[in-house]
Amino acid sequence: MISGIVADIQRASVHDGPGIRTTVFLKGCPLHCAWCHNPECIERAPQLMYYPEKCIGCGSCDKGCFSGARVICGKEMSVEEVLKEVLLDKDYYGTDGGVTFSGGEPFMQSEFLNALIDACKAEGIHCAVETSLIYFDAEIFRKVDLVMADLKIWDDELHKKYTGVSNEKIKTHFCQLSELHIPVIARTPVIPGICQEIDKISEFLKELSNVEKYELLPYHPLGGAKREALGIEPDGFTIPSKEFMEELEKYVFIRE
Amino acid sequence: MYSYASRLKAMRDTKIAHTLAKRKQNGYTDLDDFGTVPISEGYFVEPWYNSTNGSFYGYDGMCENFCRVLDAHEPYIDPNEMLCGRWRDMLVNYRGDLHYMPDWLKKNPKTQEFMKSATNQWSKRWDEQRFPYDHLKPLQEKYNITTGIDGDAHFACDYRIGFELGFGGLLKKIDKYRAINLDKREFYDAEERTVEAIISFVQRHIDKLETMIAKEENRAVRNNLIEMKQTCENIRYNAPSTFQEACQWTAFFNCASRIYTRDGAGFQLDGLLYPYYERDVKAGILDDEKAKFLIANLLLIDPHYYQISGVDENDKDMTNHLSYLILEAADSINIATNLTVRVHENCDKEFMKKAVYYLLKNKNGWPRFCNDKALAEGYMRNGIDKKTARERIAVGCNWMCVPGKEFPMNDTVKVNVAKVLDEALKDLRKEEIRSTERLFEIYEEHLKKAVEVTAEGVNLHIDHAWEVTPELVMNLMMKNTLERGEDISQCAELYTVGIDGAGLAVVADSFGALQTRVEEEKLLTWDEMYEALDSDFADERTRLILNSAPKYCQGGTISDEWAKRLTESWVRIVKAQSMPEGRQFIPGWFSWSRTIEYGSKVGATPNGRRSGAPISHGANPNPHFRTDGAPTAQANGIASVQCGYGNTAPLQIEFDPKLAADEKGVDTVLRLIESHFNQGGTLININILDSEKLLEANENPDLHPDLVVRVTGFTAYFASLSPQFRQLVVDRFLQGI
Repeated sequence: MISGIVADIQRASVHDGPGIRTTVFLKGCPLHCAWCHNPECIERAPQLMYYPEKCIGCGSCDKGCFSGARVICGKEMSVEEVLKEVLLDKDYYGTDGGVTFSGGEPFMQSEFLNALIDACKAEGIHCAVETSLIYFDAEIFRKVDLVMADLKIWDDELHKKYTGVSNEKIKTHFCQLSELHIPVIARTPVIPGICQEIDKISEFLKELSNVEKYELLPYHPLGGAKREALGIEPDGFTIPSKEFMEELEKYVFIRE
Repeated sequence: MYSYASRLKAMRDTKIAHTLAKRKQNGYTDLDDFGTVPISEGYFVEPWYNSTNGSFYGYDGMCENFCRVLDAHEPYIDPNEMLCGRWRDMLVNYRGDLHYMPDWLKKNPKTQEFMKSATNQWSKRWDEQRFPYDHLKPLQEKYNITTGIDGDAHFACDYRIGFELGFGGLLKKIDKYRAINLDKREFYDAEERTVEAIISFVQRHIDKLETMIAKEENRAVRNNLIEMKQTCENIRYNAPSTFQEACQWTAFFNCASRIYTRDGAGFQLDGLLYPYYERDVKAGILDDEKAKFLIANLLLIDPHYYQISGVDENDKDMTNHLSYLILEAADSINIATNLTVRVHENCDKEFMKKAVYYLLKNKNGWPRFCNDKALAEGYMRNGIDKKTARERIAVGCNWMCVPGKEFPMNDTVKVNVAKVLDEALKDLRKEEIRSTERLFEIYEEHLKKAVEVTAEGVNLHIDHAWEVTPELVMNLMMKNTLERGEDISQCAELYTVGIDGAGLAVVADSFGALQTRVEEEKLLTWDEMYEALDSDFADERTRLILNSAPKYCQGGTISDEWAKRLTESWVRIVKAQSMPEGRQFIPGWFSWSRTIEYGSKVGATPNGRRSGAPISHGANPNPHFRTDGAPTAQANGIASVQCGYGNTAPLQIEFDPKLAADEKGVDTVLRLIESHFNQGGTLININILDSEKLLEANENPDLHPDLVVRVTGFTAYFASLSPQFRQLVVDRFLQGI
């Protein structure tokens, strides 16, 4: 039985792809983006998250915490267990909704991901992946209905500085996806204060016929509470203004 | 400027001003807005009491006091509007019903005197001297039953009768049958006076309009007032013959029926008004803009429950051009309205999309949606034919009714199943071997008793309502009433009486917590659990152990299974209850807005709910049932607890999906609605709210006096709700999808 480490399963998600979706967050990511909004998904192993405001001071931590103060993020689940959860909302998916595998970097658990996609496809469920494109698994890409992939910063040095990895592979993988004619929604998280060069990213993506859409996602601070619960310093970034986002949108190509 | 747009804006502003003024006069009211306007200076009614217990009953008592209250109502005319008439006060206020009594009346010394002798909030509403039910009270109280005894109004008029006859025609009908049923003089006298009082109410508007016309210098405004006067004159006695007259006739009738027994049941708005619309457009006296303005005006006058769209008895789509205009009209005024869209697979898809669009655009809780298939097929399981089942439309908070024919008492009869569980837990404690299975057996024994005593109360009500609170206004548009000289409680064609269970999630989660935490995981013993309940969870850890057990609506949990089993049990016991004279119970799950009141009667429960805390709302899960608050999870759960006989277990959702009113947003919400209905759901009340606005308004309601929330089946202005009630709405709010 194939199993993997799942950080969370969120139902009724409408912002992780088309329609109504269930998003499965797989744990583990080789990138260390400074602004990561899912910091609990970076480590592959289960982690303790501590929310002191919920602690009731019962002194019985060893017998189990029921207050939500000490939460283990990450649970080993079999394909069947994940599928069972995904199937709960099958009636609500319709033709465009379905399941989105996110993370972390879902391809870090590629065997598990592959098996999950097989199981979901066997049930006729639309499958999407959200990936950093640091890995390239053609077998999986050929199976999925939609790929949502990031190109976060154009300049490689800056990319290394803020994510811990070079973007050369990522750019190559974008091209490889294009060669395979696999439809992609490309995205860039907009982080004020970093020169991401949206214009150059857009120019690059525009040349790839498989990139259906290029989206800018404003940085949001939802990872803040989770960073605190993991004992990580705040990332120090701020939400981009509406005006800033509008200005950047001018550089985003629109596929006719 | 005297354009439709500027007038609508002024009307909306006046509505907001009224909302704030009413809160000052009435205090907080956790009720439907009802469309009332503030009490005018010097307003006073001297009630006439015809009972030695200091209240009034029967044909003469109700009729005399109705006339007094209606006569005390000054005409309401706003030159911006095209329709006139509003109501301010209701008859029930003078029978000592504290639940509805506004502050301005409570402060009246005479009312205070009257209330001194009242033993409880209902004591003056039902004539207990003549029809006592002391023998039922111990069990009714034990199971915290809302008895339905003097649960007035909850049925629906057939407006076609009124549209056809007009007030004059109704008087003639009364005369005709008076001559046949000579022994029913009292009935006909009262009905006649009732109609005459309404005609006089109309006349007072005509008189006031005349004075206003004489003084009005602005030509456009004057012309409008002249048209209003002409409309009122035409329908004072005659049947309405134009679209404007039909709307105005409805407005006057609704004012009267609201004053009488708060009746809020409307009709198939796009169906009954369509012939008038079509005729007037052909005749060149009506265009779409004017039609929309009139509909907006009607919706402003009173948030009656109207159904739109749906299918006819042959499954043919009933959506018409007027259905669209109604949505546009509601959008143009954008206040609290109770429009229900009836959804069917054959319905116009574009119309459904438009309905959802307005829900997303305005975030004001309208429209709501009901499911034809589950409702009609369910109702037919009671032995009712398809045509009648299709006639049964959405006209109340949680309920449907066949206009003119049915006496369902819907939403007035409830059993607090959390209280039933409370009693079962007490009994189980005395037993040596304790288990959830044994608890369930005891729970069912109590539930049977609860349903049995509820039936006795309902039968008492149906047998004697005509002698206590005959429905003199609504009788005018019911079948058999005037013909036989009988109150509708005596002569309805259908007695399919609704009985709702309240507190499902509390009970399901309690069974689930006991099974997991006590029986399977053995984290607590039964004794420790009982000690925790006794001490109202003095130890927070124990409470959290129980409260963190799997919950109803999480999906595939033990508590989800319990909710289904509890529903099967509720339906079986309710349907097995025998009733006399062709009456039958129909089960549903609904608490109305009584969750605080019901909760106050229930001790601590094994789901970690503290003693006296509110019970769960309707068929909804307990708040915070999932960390992602997934509405799909809630919808799945509620679809699985439908009772299946044509009454509802509503899906009530409050959320901020952060979805724009664009194609994606509309498609997503429509998918949610359609999928829940495909699963067998019956009714959906969706509050799409702006979370920031909601939280701001909770802190300071006056910041957003126009914020409307669908509290339960009804909508209310958030600013009018009590702080406790506002918090309940906020607690139910899902943190978004």
